[in-house]
Amino acid sequence: MTLILGIESSCDETAAAVVRDGRTILSNVVASQIDLHAPYGGVFPEVASRAHVEVIGAVVHQAMDEAGLTYADLDAVAVTRGPGLAGSLLVGVNYAKGLAFASGLPLVGVNHLEGHIYSLWLTEAADKLAFPLVCLIVSGGHTELVLVRDHGRYEHLGGTQDDAAGEAFDKVARLLHLGYPGGPAIQKAAAGGNAKAHPFAKARTDAPYDFSFSGLKTAVLRAATVQPRPGQPRQRGEESEAPLKPDLRVADVAASFQRAVVMALVDKTLQAAREFGATAILLAGGVSANKALREEMGKASPLPVYTPPLHLCTDNAAMIAAAGTQRFLQGQRDGLDMDVQPMWPIISLEAMGG
Amino acid sequence: MPILKPGTLEFVSRGADQTTRLGHRLGELVRPGDVICLSGPLGAGKTAFARGLGQGWGAVPPVTSPTFTLVHEHTRQADGLRLYHVDSYRLSGPDDALTFGLDELFLDENPLLIEWPERVAGILPAARLWIAFHFDEGDRRLITFEAAGESYIDLLEEYRRRTFGG
Repeated sequence: MTLILGIESSCDETAAAVVRDGRTILSNVVASQIDLHAPYGGVFPEVASRAHVEVIGAVVHQAMDEAGLTYADLDAVAVTRGPGLAGSLLVGVNYAKGLAFASGLPLVGVNHLEGHIYSLWLTEAADKLAFPLVCLIVSGGHTELVLVRDHGRYEHLGGTQDDAAGEAFDKVARLLHLGYPGGPAIQKAAAGGNAKAHPFAKARTDAPYDFSFSGLKTAVLRAATVQPRPGQPRQRGEESEAPLKPDLRVADVAASFQRAVVMALVDKTLQAAREFGATAILLAGGVSANKALREEMGKASPLPVYTPPLHLCTDNAAMIAAAGTQRFLQGQRDGLDMDVQPMWPIISLEAMGG
Repeated sequence: MPILKPGTLEFVSRGADQTTRLGHRLGELVRPGDVICLSGPLGAGKTAFARGLGQGWGAVPPVTSPTFTLVHEHTRQADGLRLYHVDSYRLSGPDDALTFGLDELFLDENPLLIEWPERVAGILPAARLWIAFHFDEGDRRLITFEAAGESYIDLLEEYRRRTFGG
């Protein structure tokens, strides 16, 4: 039996969890900061780090209490090392180091994106999963298409060239005056809209599995707002108040935009699954909560599509403990000099010497 | 490519790909400690230009939009320097920027690329390269470069020579 404590603080959730054998959640505590960041229309790094510092001790204690364990029962402490906000990552990593030092437990650094993949191993789908798998990770800060060849063996197939999928939702919601966060706002506004009203073109990308949402954003801008006269530079900040066309059906634009994003994600994921002979498709990350994405992927895919429940889609520490379990079993041990990696791409364990 | 006065340059880009190529050329010339401001509305080409600039400079991983996290940090194998890419859109003013530690990045030897610079105008260094993106017909964009300070006037002159000849 392997018992791992996971700690996650890469963005705006402070989380701790205890997981048994990488499969069974004994406790899963998440303290969300969303209310703190709402005035900023997005995560504000300095506010995030301070909030992490305030609650991390209580969050870890609660995770241990709920699991009914003491540190002596654990096999290791796994912590998110990156990617994420440097200041936020430091809080979790330093707390984990202190804990490892005081308790004598091994320390295991985990990639946050890898955590999202392993959120699927905490669901009933785990028994049916067979490699290779293609995983689409979509969230506010990430859009990643990953080939999972085996435990700890990943290949980054593509990512966004400009805006992350969640960011594209935020920016288009801003253009359409729909508020923040953009994902739920667009999904709500799109209800009842005609998704074929605006045939937004597919983006061209440099690599076959890369994504680009910047051109789509500009196309929405053109379809929805009154354009300035050519050559007339707009004033600072004016774009957020650029008037919408008077006869505009916002529901149609929102639905058409959502469809364009969803189709880009679905098409490339299915294409990758075909090319690499995947046995199933995994959907993870906060944007995988989007209903249109789930439905469309399920409809279009000849392979099974697995998505974790909502509380495991968004950032949590159970997924970090699950990924940490694999790394721990493969022998990875990190020293107390382990640094955070704010821009860490997902790579195989052997490639990082772990 | 008329030079209207020393330290300025105007260019009309036919689309995002060309804007990226223009950024690439500038990225090859960016020096340690340079501050480059990218100004313009949503969709005008700031990120397309930044993406090219990152390629030309040698940024790993590639430059994408930093809106979600406010700042991205890219390293370069050759000399270990870092390129900071900041999006100030969500900063409401200099106070937010100071809280965020932007002023410390100005003092750094690492080059700094900053989108929505007008949001933090009060704390920007006087010497800098200011690039503004304006909508034109369709995919076309008018891009204006304005250098402040002798070293940036030199940088822009070198950029003009390398990119447009003459």
